[in-house]
Amino acid sequence: MLTQRVANILFALLVIVASIWFAVEAQGFKAAGLLASSGLPSKFFPQLTLGFMAICAIIVGIVYSRRKHTESDETDTVYNNATEARQGLLVLLVAVASYFIWSKFGFVSMAMVMGPMCLVAMGIRSIKLYVTVVLITGFIYAVFTQLLNIQLV
Amino acid sequence: MLANTDALLLALTQLSQPITILLLVLGIVIGLIIGILPGLGPPIAIALALPFTFYLEPVPSIILLLGIYSAAIYGGSISAIAVGIPGTGAAIATVQDGHKMFSAGRGGEALGFSLTGSIFGGLVSVICLAFIAPLLAEFAVRFGPRENLAISVFGLMVVVRVAGKSLSKGLLMGALGLFLTTWGLDELNGTERYTFGSYHLYEGLPLVPFLVGLFAMSEVFISAERAHHKIQFNQSSLRVKLPGWQTLVKMKDVLIRSSLIGTVIGIIPGEGAAVGAFFAYSEAKRRSKKPQDFGTGIAEGIVAPETANNATVGGALVPTLTLGVPGSPAAAVLLGALIIQGLSPGTQLFAEHPDLMYAIFVGLFAINILMIFIGLIAIRFAARLIMVPTAVIVPTVMLLSFVGVYSVSNSFFNVGVMLGAGILGYVVRKLGYSIAPLSIGFVLGPILENSLRQSLTLADGSVQEFFNTPIGLSIYAALALTILWAPVAGRFNRRRTK
Repeated sequence: MLTQRVANILFALLVIVASIWFAVEAQGFKAAGLLASSGLPSKFFPQLTLGFMAICAIIVGIVYSRRKHTESDETDTVYNNATEARQGLLVLLVAVASYFIWSKFGFVSMAMVMGPMCLVAMGIRSIKLYVTVVLITGFIYAVFTQLLNIQLV
Repeated sequence: MLANTDALLLALTQLSQPITILLLVLGIVIGLIIGILPGLGPPIAIALALPFTFYLEPVPSIILLLGIYSAAIYGGSISAIAVGIPGTGAAIATVQDGHKMFSAGRGGEALGFSLTGSIFGGLVSVICLAFIAPLLAEFAVRFGPRENLAISVFGLMVVVRVAGKSLSKGLLMGALGLFLTTWGLDELNGTERYTFGSYHLYEGLPLVPFLVGLFAMSEVFISAERAHHKIQFNQSSLRVKLPGWQTLVKMKDVLIRSSLIGTVIGIIPGEGAAVGAFFAYSEAKRRSKKPQDFGTGIAEGIVAPETANNATVGGALVPTLTLGVPGSPAAAVLLGALIIQGLSPGTQLFAEHPDLMYAIFVGLFAINILMIFIGLIAIRFAARLIMVPTAVIVPTVMLLSFVGVYSVSNSFFNVGVMLGAGILGYVVRKLGYSIAPLSIGFVLGPILENSLRQSLTLADGSVQEFFNTPIGLSIYAALALTILWAPVAGRFNRRRTK
């Protein structure tokens, strides 16, 4: 299992790299027209917050990397067990897939598969729950399209 | 500006509209349902309802959200008492005595105490809100860019301080929230910042999808991990028995003290309902003649936290409405609702929309009164709600988030932002970061950037000028005091015990 120590160090590194990249991008901000020279440059605040983020990430990284390796580090994991990790991450993938299904095949296709896909991702076997989720989906669709008159395409 | 009587009459007229009354009741029902469901708290409940407010006038939309906010905090106590799983963080303190009382076959009494305490706390905090908020607003009219900057920094820093164990993690999240608001066209000179060639990003990352993603979607992913956890409890104990007048008179000290504690803690940015509940619980225990009985299933152990956590609602609205600084994540989402309505929460809100302010005061009072009756009915159905499997909640909340966010402007871009914010929220929560500073940073970002840039321009680039204002200096001093107080007091106490 991925330990909190390793995950936090990796995340801190990612934040530092991203902060540098965004700060360099901010150097290229160009204001056009008469307002270009008014006040502080547009890059000031983003670079200020990025600098702050990077410093905080360095501190977090140092705190986790300096922490003495103990037995409790092995139990202090991001996920309690493999089943929980699988369920959480698969539902996340279902959410991403649903977004693409909606954009490619329309709302109805997405709504029909989202619920059952979530249940499969969570390892649910009860047919009753599949039926319940499909019925709830139909109810939500009816409320939005008929009652609130929102076009879901 | 309308005269006070005219504004009050206008507010009452708006509140008496059938749609407003319907939304008030609907808000309480939705809030209770979401509060009872373990894991889904007030910020998620408000975030899910936020997209619908686009179609409503300001008063009905705020009343809907306030109903949800108040009822969700109370609803959390029902599952805390019945199954020992707090529906919201605010109900954690209630578990200790509430669930013990329920297990001993006195569930009806426990639920009655929690309902009575919640209503009492809610009503006291509304009265305090109605008195304190106008005074603070009158004072805050004097605020300029430097004072606005100071109050925004104060709000963000206090939230960061209380949000988690690690200060650097809290600061990182706060800064990330601020940074994400810089995307889009610069409000002051029109410069494109991080638009990546997409016109969707010209107005920056949209507030509603970001908040829905951060709160609701991240919770969906986390809930999915525990989809197989089963809840079992004795349903027969779910019959409410309201305390009699004499019992309430006996507990008047606990009720009044906890209400005031909750209101004051609610006013302090970041100190949310959970802190208020724990503080009131420990105070009740400290002042009790039988402190050893706390935790064994006694009435005071339920009344104190439940009164205080509902009292934080009115308290949290004081800085939100008068200064534009949200007192809690739920208040940050409420602040977003005001922004959606084209209103700018802060110093001018009272002067420009006194009718809305009166509608909030009267509406919140009515919500607390109605919650007695709706709460009594809701408890009868609580057993069924508590037993709803997480496997059903996960796809339902996911679909509601997708549809709600899309319907704001019929935009897939919004859904994408929500998904991105949800993944970000999930990752950081798994790594032990709090999302409260991230959400509040995202709400405060534009105010903070504009006031910082205006202050620096006015001061000719001198940072020293920031402190050259009595109000600003007082705010920074208060901030320093809140940050330094805990370590200094800790060192002092250690020395004394040595």
